[in-house]
Amino acid sequence: MTRIAITGIGVVAPGAIGVDAFSDLLDGGQTAATKIDRFDTNGLTAHTAAVVRDFVPRDFIAPMKLRRMNNLSRFGVAAARLAMNDRGSELTTAAGVAMGTAFGPVQTSVDYMQEYVEKGAALAPPQLFAESVANAPGSHVGIESGLRGFNITVTQRESSALAALMYACSQIAKGVLPAAVVGGVDEVSEIVFGVLDRVGTLAHRNGAVDECARPFDRRRNGMVVGEGGAVLIAEAAPRKQPYAFVSGFGIARDTTATISDWGSGVEAVSSAMRAAVEDAELSLHNIDAIYSSANATRKADPLESRALQTLFDDVPLVVATKGYFGEYAAGGALQLIAALLALRDQKLHASTGFSEPDHAMISPTRRSENRELRHILVNSISAGGGIVCAVLSRDAS
Amino acid sequence: MRKPDPNVRIAVTGAGIICSIGRNKDEVWSAIAESRAGIRKLTRFPGETFPTDLAAEVDEDLDAMVPLDRRDAKRMSRSDKLAVIAAAEAIAQAGVALERAIVSTGTSTGGLVEGEDYYFKRLLRGRRRAPASLVLQQPTSGPSDAVARTFNLGGGVVSNATACASAGAAIGMAADYLRARHADAAIAGGTDALCRLTYSGFNVLQAVDGEACAPFSSRRKGITLGEGAAYLVLERWDDAAARGAQVIAELCGYGATCDAHHPTAPHEEGRGAEAAMRGALCDARSTAEAIDYINAHGTGTLLNDSSETKAIIAAVGTGVPVSSSKSYFGHTLGASGAVEAVITVLALANQIAPPTLRLESAAADCPLDYIPHTPRPMRMQQALSNTFGFGGSNVSLLFKRA
Repeated sequence: MTRIAITGIGVVAPGAIGVDAFSDLLDGGQTAATKIDRFDTNGLTAHTAAVVRDFVPRDFIAPMKLRRMNNLSRFGVAAARLAMNDRGSELTTAAGVAMGTAFGPVQTSVDYMQEYVEKGAALAPPQLFAESVANAPGSHVGIESGLRGFNITVTQRESSALAALMYACSQIAKGVLPAAVVGGVDEVSEIVFGVLDRVGTLAHRNGAVDECARPFDRRRNGMVVGEGGAVLIAEAAPRKQPYAFVSGFGIARDTTATISDWGSGVEAVSSAMRAAVEDAELSLHNIDAIYSSANATRKADPLESRALQTLFDDVPLVVATKGYFGEYAAGGALQLIAALLALRDQKLHASTGFSEPDHAMISPTRRSENRELRHILVNSISAGGGIVCAVLSRDAS
Repeated sequence: MRKPDPNVRIAVTGAGIICSIGRNKDEVWSAIAESRAGIRKLTRFPGETFPTDLAAEVDEDLDAMVPLDRRDAKRMSRSDKLAVIAAAEAIAQAGVALERAIVSTGTSTGGLVEGEDYYFKRLLRGRRRAPASLVLQQPTSGPSDAVARTFNLGGGVVSNATACASAGAAIGMAADYLRARHADAAIAGGTDALCRLTYSGFNVLQAVDGEACAPFSSRRKGITLGEGAAYLVLERWDDAAARGAQVIAELCGYGATCDAHHPTAPHEEGRGAEAAMRGALCDARSTAEAIDYINAHGTGTLLNDSSETKAIIAAVGTGVPVSSSKSYFGHTLGASGAVEAVITVLALANQIAPPTLRLESAAADCPLDYIPHTPRPMRMQQALSNTFGFGGSNVSLLFKRA
C-alpha cells in the first residue's frame, strides 16, 4: 500500500493568507465573497466574487523579481513559500512541481494584446509574453526553490489542482523523486467573469434571493468565482507529522457533458469515485465523509448528488466548501486543503451557503462537527466532463 | 495507491499528424523523404505587421477535414480542430476500444487565437456585442475536451500546458496512467495553432530567424513558428497483443525535469536537458549505448542548440546521429513534443533518420552529426525525442522499434 504524505500547506486565498487563517475562515462559517471593485460589473447580472485581499506580494518576493511576475505567479510563489515554511525546511532540489490552473493567464494575454494594439506587434513588452504561458507560476516556483524534478502545469478546468496532485503522487509513488510542490493558481479577470455571466453560470440576485453560492440548496442559481494560490508539499517519507496522506485516485469522463457545461452521466461520476476508493485499497463503507465538488450550478450539484446516492447505500456526510472561496479558487486546490484540515483536526466543516434542502438532492453539513475521520473522498467534476476523485487518509497505513 | 508498474510495456498502436508539410502520416513522411520543407510567407493575419514574415502554416480547410458537421466544427477553436484531425487518424489506425480511453493533450495556446478575435471584436464593438463563445474556446483544456467529445471517450481527460514541453509531458503522463491501470488506452499528443500573441511574442524576444530556421547551423538566428497537432494511441503491450493490434513502436520510457534557471532561457550547459535524457534511459531501463538516433528539440536559437548539444554529449555521447525536424515544419510550440514523437516513430518504422535541412555548415558549438540535407537510411532500434519549454521544463521520450 502506497500513501503520499502532505507535510506542508501554503494558502493565498480569498479571506485568508496562510493555512491558519484559512482554517479560521472555514471555522467561521462565512463566505469570503464580496462585491467586486476590481472592474466594472455594470450591466452584468453578477457582481460578487471571492477575491484575494490583504495580500502583500513583497512579503514573499524580492522587488526585482516581483516586477517580472503576474498575479498568478505571485500567488503561486507566495503559496509555495508559505508551504515550505509550514513544512519547516526546504525541499531537496530533486523535488518536482505540478501546478493546476483553470483559466491560466487570461488577464496577462489581454494586457499583452492591449500593448500589441497600442504599440505594435514588435514593441509589446517581452516580460508580459514570458508570463503569458500557463506554466509561468510553476516555473517561478521551481526557480525560487531550485527544484529540478518535473515541472508541469495541468489545465483541466475545475479539476486542475486535483489532476496535478494525481500526477505528482504517481511520480513519487513510482520512485522518480522523493517529493513535489503541488497546487493551483487562478485569478478573477474581467473577461472570464463577463463571459461566465453572459452564459448564465454565475450566482445572481433573483427576487429576494441574495447573490450567493448555495451548493445543494433549492434556491441555488449559479456559482461564485474565486481566485488565489495554494500549494501542498507531497512527499514519500515525511520527517514530521503530516496533515494527512493521499491514498488513491480515480479518473473518468462524463460523455454526456457539452464542451462548456456539466452533463448527466451519473455512472461516470460514480465510476471515478469507486476507482479512487479501490485505488486506495478501501471499501465504500470506509469513507467517512465527502468533500464535494458542488458549486451551486443547476446541473453540477444534482449530477454529483445522484452519483453519491447511486454509489453509496448510505451516503456519508457531505461537505460543500465552494461557498467559502468560490469555484476555480487556487485552481481547485482549496477544496483539497479543506479536506486535509478536516483530517488533521478530526472535524468536518459546515457548508456555507446551504439553508434550504432540495429534496431531490442530498443535503450537506450545516454546522461543523467533531468526529473520527479516517478517510475522506474529494470529488472534482468539471464542465466539459472531466472527473478526478481522490481519497485522503488520516494514517499512513 | 497503485504506482506506475515499470514492468508494463507501452505499445504505440496508432499515430496521427497534421502540420505544414502534410495532412497525415503518409503526406508528412513523403515530404520528409523528399527534403521538402513547409515554411512560407505568413498569411494567417493579413493586415498585421511583424518584424519577420515566415511561418509554417497549415493551409488546409480544417472545417472540411474535421469528422463533424460544420455547425459542431464552428464551436471549436483552430487548435481543437487540428487536434481532432490528428486524433482521428491515430484512432482509425489503432482501432482500439474507447470506452475507457483517456485523452492527454499538451497545448500552450489552446484557443488563444479565438481569444484574440474576441478581444479585437470587443475593442471595436464593446463588451456586450463581442461573441462570448470565442472566449469559451480559449481555455487550454479545450483541445482535450474536443477530442474526448468527438470520439466519445470515457476514460478521463487531462490537459498539459507546460509551454513547449506540453505534449511531451502529456505523452509521458498518459504512459504512466496506463502503467498504473487508471485507463485502458490513451490518446496522447498535442496541438497548437499559430496566433498573434506567440508570433509577436517570440519576435519581441528576438528569438525568430528572419529566414527559414537553420538548426545547429553557423548562421542560425532563431526559430520559425509553426502550427500543427499529433497524437499517439498508447496501450499496454499485453492488451494490444491480446487483441491482435499492429504495434508500430514501443514507448519505453520518459524523463521530465526542470532547469530551475530562467523563465525563458535554457540552462547554458543543458543541465535539465541532460537529466531528462538520463531519466528517459533510466525509466526505459536502457543505456546511452543503445540509442541510435535523437530527434532533437533543435529550435535554431543560439542558446538552445548549443545547450542541447552539450546535454546530448553528456547524456548519450558524441557518436549518435541527431537531427531537428523543425527545419521542415517550424516550431509547433505546445504540439512539438507530439509532432516530433510521431516523426521519431515513423523514423524507427521506416529505418530512415530525417535530416536537418539548411545545414550548410554546422556551428562551432554544435560538433555532432546532425544528418544534413537528406534522409539517412540506417539501422535504428531505439531513439530519443527531446522537447523543452519556457520555464526550463524538459521532457525526453524514448521509443523502440516494434
